[in-house]
Amino acid sequence: MSIRVTNLAFAFPKFSLRVKELAFESAKVTAIVGPNGAGKTTFLKCVGAVLPTAKGCLFIDGRDIVSLKSQERARLVCYVPQEHDTTFNYTVSDFVLMGRAAYISPFALPSQEDSRAAAEALDFVGLTGYADRAISEISSGERRLVLIARALAQQSDILLMDEPTTFLDPKHEAEVLQLVKKLAAEKMKTILVTLHSLEMAVQHSDQMVFMKRGEVVAHGKSADVFQESLLESVYDMKMKIIDWEGRKIVLR
Amino acid sequence: MSGQNNRRAKGLAVFFLILPLVLFLISLSIGSYGISPRGLFKTVLSVVSPALHPDVPAAYRDILLRIRLPRVLLAMAVGAALSVSGASLQALFKNPLVNEYILGISSGAAFGAALSLVFLGRAFPPQVGGFVFAVVAVGAVLLISGKAESHFISLLLTGIIITAFFSALLSLVEFFASPYVLQALFFWLMGSLSLASWKDLYISLPLIAVGLVILYLLRWRLNVLSMSDEEARSLGVNVRREKMLVIAATTLITAAATAIVGIIGWLGFIVPHLVRMMFGADNRRVVPLSAAMGASIMMIADDIIRGLSSFEIPIGIFTSLVGIPIFLVLLKKTRKVWL
Repeated sequence: MSIRVTNLAFAFPKFSLRVKELAFESAKVTAIVGPNGAGKTTFLKCVGAVLPTAKGCLFIDGRDIVSLKSQERARLVCYVPQEHDTTFNYTVSDFVLMGRAAYISPFALPSQEDSRAAAEALDFVGLTGYADRAISEISSGERRLVLIARALAQQSDILLMDEPTTFLDPKHEAEVLQLVKKLAAEKMKTILVTLHSLEMAVQHSDQMVFMKRGEVVAHGKSADVFQESLLESVYDMKMKIIDWEGRKIVLR
Repeated sequence: MSGQNNRRAKGLAVFFLILPLVLFLISLSIGSYGISPRGLFKTVLSVVSPALHPDVPAAYRDILLRIRLPRVLLAMAVGAALSVSGASLQALFKNPLVNEYILGISSGAAFGAALSLVFLGRAFPPQVGGFVFAVVAVGAVLLISGKAESHFISLLLTGIIITAFFSALLSLVEFFASPYVLQALFFWLMGSLSLASWKDLYISLPLIAVGLVILYLLRWRLNVLSMSDEEARSLGVNVRREKMLVIAATTLITAAATAIVGIIGWLGFIVPHLVRMMFGADNRRVVPLSAAMGASIMMIADDIIRGLSSFEIPIGIFTSLVGIPIFLVLLKKTRKVWL
């Protein structure tokens, strides 16, 4: 499924987001990068209609996403938060099962089919053995994978992932991003992911969007748009890109 | 959780679900006028067919039907109502410290019911006034603290202020009450089952039943609603509508209970915690087991009050005095995180 953004605007008291025109192709990974406060998360939440967005700005395959009912919208697009605040200590399987909410009436319980979908999602992220573990007893990296599993159980074609690798060690960071690529390739998911690591962003994405002060300053194919001059203007600091065994390393 | 632990938890859950039925029968036998289980059985049969059991004293039937049955039913209903209300509100506000008292529901309901009792008399159902002012109180708390999206500290502070406001209004009602009404009001406010009558039950039981059924049906949804509002919305929940439904159901059952028994402290806070300590956080288990455990605790508390002392301590005082130390002991013994 493809996404089209047109004249999107959202304002907080001291910050405003303005995106004129942007399109995201089906089954591709788009990395959204930019300094802190650039509006990456706000943009993602607007696309997912998690924040109250005006009608006529966001379209999925031509359908205005804001006009859809919440259940219908959740079947198309899923926002994956950065981290889950564990107030109540659900088991991993109960947590992933919540991804099925869009398919279950408010007054009903999950069916066997819902449980099966949740188990499959857990299996896809490699955490089958964790089903009965409490969510507070697993590591931060594993919790990110559980959040992704919940999004998979939701079975929406578009995933909006908010900094899924923050605070992860390099190994887990690479694992999560490989999983993101696998989701686009094998499950045909259209993925928008906000990232701070520029090396990881260019390595694991098909397209990149650069944001600064609430606006998109550049976008395009990752290999084309990833240039020193752009990085320097976006981050206001001297940067150098080095090619190393086919990978790009940013010196700063 | 291992298979053995799972089986043990299931066995324990079945035990707690059956317990209210056993306690119901025991509670009917206990009181200043003791009725043996055999006598109880014969009395029940004599109610169904008086001609076949002429040897059962008429006093037995009176005690059972007019005094004990409404009282035990009320204890069950109120215990279940307040516990399920607490469990649901804790999930909804994503905070294990929330209960109907913090949200101002209890004090609003108490003021409304007292106002009704003093100015409209006992002929007019106090549940109406209780519900109206419970809605006003919780509505004010949510509106002032920033609607349903509020941060907990803001919610807590607003709840304290609204509770204090309705407590002041309640004192004003007491000030205008006649000495006779004031005495009854004072006893009722401390939480009492002694005034239980069929007239009250006819109104409160259906209201509590409706609220409980709604919350029981929503029990899995409460899991999803216990996520952040943004997460719940992204998962496909109409957050505002479903929150309002849960708040309406909890307000209804709290008002219906408070209007006839006064304020029963701590039950709605402690019982869901005990259930989570034993059975985990999944509201598919927490809601029904809170109902069963709340009903059981209220019946046991009332049995102790009726059976062990020559005078009746208000049950609201009793649940607070006994419930809090038990909770603290369990909290210390249970080292695992259950929240």
